Amino acid sequence: MIPDYSLALLVAFAVTGIAFFALMRETDGLHRLLLTDLIEVVTLAFIALVGTDLAEALILPGLVVGTSELIALSEIYRVKEGFVRPPADGLRIEVMESAPGILAALLVVYGIVLSGFSGGAVAGLGVLFYFLCRDHNERFELIETASGYSWVLWIIAFFIFMILPQYWFFAVMLAGSAILVKVMAKMSLIGTMRGGPNA
Amino acid sequence: MPDIGGSDLFVLEFGDILHYYTPYTLTLFVLALIFTALAILARPEGQVDIAFGGDAYYAKETAVSEMRFRRFMTIACGLATMGAMGSGDIFNFTLFVSLVGIANIGIVAAVKNRHVLNAAYEYGIVAMVATLPLFGGAALVLATTGTLSIPALAAGGYAVPPVGKVLLALGVIGEGMAPFYAAKAEMFRAPGAPYVIMCSLSSLLIFLRVVEIVITI
Repeated sequence: MIPDYSLALLVAFAVTGIAFFALMRETDGLHRLLLTDLIEVVTLAFIALVGTDLAEALILPGLVVGTSELIALSEIYRVKEGFVRPPADGLRIEVMESAPGILAALLVVYGIVLSGFSGGAVAGLGVLFYFLCRDHNERFELIETASGYSWVLWIIAFFIFMILPQYWFFAVMLAGSAILVKVMAKMSLIGTMRGGPNA
Repeated sequence: MPDIGGSDLFVLEFGDILHYYTPYTLTLFVLALIFTALAILARPEGQVDIAFGGDAYYAKETAVSEMRFRRFMTIACGLATMGAMGSGDIFNFTLFVSLVGIANIGIVAAVKNRHVLNAAYEYGIVAMVATLPLFGGAALVLATTGTLSIPALAAGGYAVPPVGKVLLALGVIGEGMAPFYAAKAEMFRAPGAPYVIMCSLSSLLIFLRVVEIVITI
């Protein structure tokens, strides 16, 4: 009987082989970019195979590194190939005019109730949907500033955990609300990605 | 275990995650620090191309916005290199190394020249693919020994798998492309001397550091 970990490791190495072989054969620039994403997934699988709480904590930075490299490379590809024309106006249907306000309000309120990372994701989904359907001539600097300050509050909460552990409840509340604002602000920016002058 | 770095000069502990400096890593750290300071102070190089068969020449100007972005990326690269030099945790080290890789792409990709962008794209794909052996190596070390702390691994009692060490070294080679300077020749068409040299220096430093880690653990 082969232990589970060794078996899964074997599968991961096999997938690595397939991914690298595909990358070696592929010559088109965009397809190679997409194939590197396949390799990123195997990277996360390697970390996830460890299967402890620590591995869970290590997946997030691994994912962030992979995503940021993917975004940087996509931007280089866009500039390299000279894709500058913004996409045309999207779908214009009646539901997209009336629904966003109600749905976004519901999701944001529910997100605030949940709080923390998952609450931020739910509320962010609401704001994303709103920006996606309505015009987005908003002040992006404001959203980014709010996100930055809430990140600082999140870090301060972690320092309270380390230096003044007796105030843990305050730190939990601070971290929970700060990460809510941060995730919401970051996710809402996705809704504005439609090209255009200030995208 | 061979101790090639010398005795610890300074240790900063956060639980089991710690930063430490030995004479070896301190030397590398100071080198990165000096070069980052130089990159902050220096002005970008003004490159001149001679037109073949005549007296004419092209003077390449570096725009202020481009210069600011590349200087920012150089400083980020220097900070990441300094972090990689002092880190006593293998996973933190791999994160610093991948940050060096991203900053290196940024330094080069700010130049709006087709040849340079093509080279930066290929380099970026290598750097991205290299995260697999890099994180894979760290994950293998964690799975087989149960710790990521370099001093704990160096103290002995753990059987670090050689394949984990090989993957770690392979990942750093891919992120820094240290032995592949020839492949980066296109990048050096980019004007702005002090910033491009940071790519080479950071590759060299992270490569020297991973050699120390692989021998020590």
